[in-house]
Amino acid sequence: MSEPLFVAEALTKRYGSGAAEVVAVRDVSLSVAPGEIVLIMGPSGSGKTTLLLMLGALLRPTAGKLWVRSTLVSGLPERKLPDVRLRQFGFVFQDFNLLSALSALENVAVVAELAGIGGGQARKRAAHLLGELGLGARLHFLPEKLSGGEKQRVALARALINDPAVVLADEPTANLDSKIGREIMRLLQRVAREQGRGVVIVSHDQRLKETADRVLWLEDGQFKAMVTMAVDPVCGMAVEREGAPTAEGKDQTYFFCSRGCRDEFLAERLEAVAPR
Amino acid sequence: MALARHNLAQDWARLTLSVVGVALAVMLILLLSGFLSGMYIQIAAYLTNTPGSVVVAQDEVRNLLGVSSLLPLGATAAARTGGSRVIPILSQFVILDLHGKKQPVYLVGYDRKEGGGPWRLAAGAEPRTSYEVVFDRVLASRHNIALGEQVEIMDRDFTVVGLSDGTSSWMTSFVFVRKAAVERLLRVPGGTSFLLVTPPARTRPEVLRDRLSRVPGVEALLKRDMIANDAALFGKVFSAPIRLMVLIAFFVGTLVVGLVIYTATIERQREYGVLKAIGARNGLLYRTVLAQALIITGLGSLGGVALAFAAARLIMVLRPQFLVVLEPPAIGWALLSGLGMALLAALIPVRTIARLAPADVFRR
Repeated sequence: MSEPLFVAEALTKRYGSGAAEVVAVRDVSLSVAPGEIVLIMGPSGSGKTTLLLMLGALLRPTAGKLWVRSTLVSGLPERKLPDVRLRQFGFVFQDFNLLSALSALENVAVVAELAGIGGGQARKRAAHLLGELGLGARLHFLPEKLSGGEKQRVALARALINDPAVVLADEPTANLDSKIGREIMRLLQRVAREQGRGVVIVSHDQRLKETADRVLWLEDGQFKAMVTMAVDPVCGMAVEREGAPTAEGKDQTYFFCSRGCRDEFLAERLEAVAPR
Repeated sequence: MALARHNLAQDWARLTLSVVGVALAVMLILLLSGFLSGMYIQIAAYLTNTPGSVVVAQDEVRNLLGVSSLLPLGATAAARTGGSRVIPILSQFVILDLHGKKQPVYLVGYDRKEGGGPWRLAAGAEPRTSYEVVFDRVLASRHNIALGEQVEIMDRDFTVVGLSDGTSSWMTSFVFVRKAAVERLLRVPGGTSFLLVTPPARTRPEVLRDRLSRVPGVEALLKRDMIANDAALFGKVFSAPIRLMVLIAFFVGTLVVGLVIYTATIERQREYGVLKAIGARNGLLYRTVLAQALIITGLGSLGGVALAFAAARLIMVLRPQFLVVLEPPAIGWALLSGLGMALLAALIPVRTIARLAPADVFRR
């Protein structure tokens, strides 16, 4: 086993104090090896985002340690953290979060420029990366002119431009249809396997389990054994059975992530049995 | 800088409006200060364009345009001792009734032989008799007065024989008649208001001033001090409101840029948060906001200077009594004002960015 790229040791995050104290994440340890994809799942409010923020050096843990490529990030002063985020982490967001005034190329190049790479070189590198991700013909398009999948690929290129050790992805397939979602999953897999980066994904999307090397279940701020989850037959999301909208089938009960999915499911079934 | 440029270019309508807003503010600042400069030039016009470096007035009279002066008999003779050139004038503010409109003018009585009359004639000639008058060209044109026309000055008729140039002002214009005519109008035979004295060669004006100050009943001042006193007198009245208007224009300009930059920053708050999350330091984001403000104010200031020149020309064509002088220092100050607007306008958005938590990008 190669040495981990990224180690989190007993990370804890508490908000408030005394009777008002809330423990969002409690004693969570995690290590990610080069080329490994770790998927963190869990119900809403389980602490996934808080954990991701701590792993990305965006939120200081109340206790615990975080190493990236043998640097103790959790011990660094605040002023040094932007540089760590810039060079050691690549972030992929659910809403893509591209800069609306910049073209695809500029969105990627600007991050390289932040890391001190000259304008021309940064653009060249960005163009190459976007070309590799199949966006060579879309370099000068503004985000509003790109499809959801294209936006997420630009976001991925942006995350990779500074050659980070770890890519942290927050619900990377949530705003994409299933086909595009799978495409993004394959790209994340390539990022891990071919480039030897660690990939940590926080998601509800059950389909990502196929891609992940490890799936961790976070509940009440702690990693726990995976609970039995149902799969929404419409969108494919992992759904906790308890409290989820349901529909009765012939021999089974279907669970849905939302009423919208259930209504869609019922409408499709009605259409299928309707006389033509 | 590129991000700032792109951010602004994304909304052309807003960029244009904000640049126009700043341009108008800078134009207003320049026009008002140009108007003030023009006013000072108009106030000083008579003394600047007539000979002499020392002005002698009645005791305790320290300006030309503010009060009446009547020199004691013998002052002229005293001034002439030592070979100085002396120009006596008899002057007075009077109100004329020109085609039913009341018009204040500064009436100057002078002798052609001595000087002190109009320094540039646009048409006609200087008065040869006590019933002739040279009118300011702009004043004449405003009241449709032509050469050869009769005008009434203090109940006596005068024929307009000349039109003078550079003697107009929005406050009052100059009208020139023979000194003897003013003596009759004011009923002060042999009376003199001021002496414009040029010292003989190798005598410094200060020495002459000190010598003439010792003549009983007179006040002798260097011409530049007299001009400064006139400027201070009128400046006291007009300078404060004009400076207040300049300040308001600056404030409005700052507000326009500030509002545009603030809304642009608030709209892109999430994007700035993303940049912070990715690893951009506050300094870079501050520079982006400041660059946006500088681009707007830079374009606006340059546009404002161009507009001010155009507007000044238009004002002086439509209302020639107003002199608007756009001097390089004033332009420099206007451009500096633009810079000041940018710096002030960027202050509040910068605070917003400083408070932005990058982690918030992940919280939906």
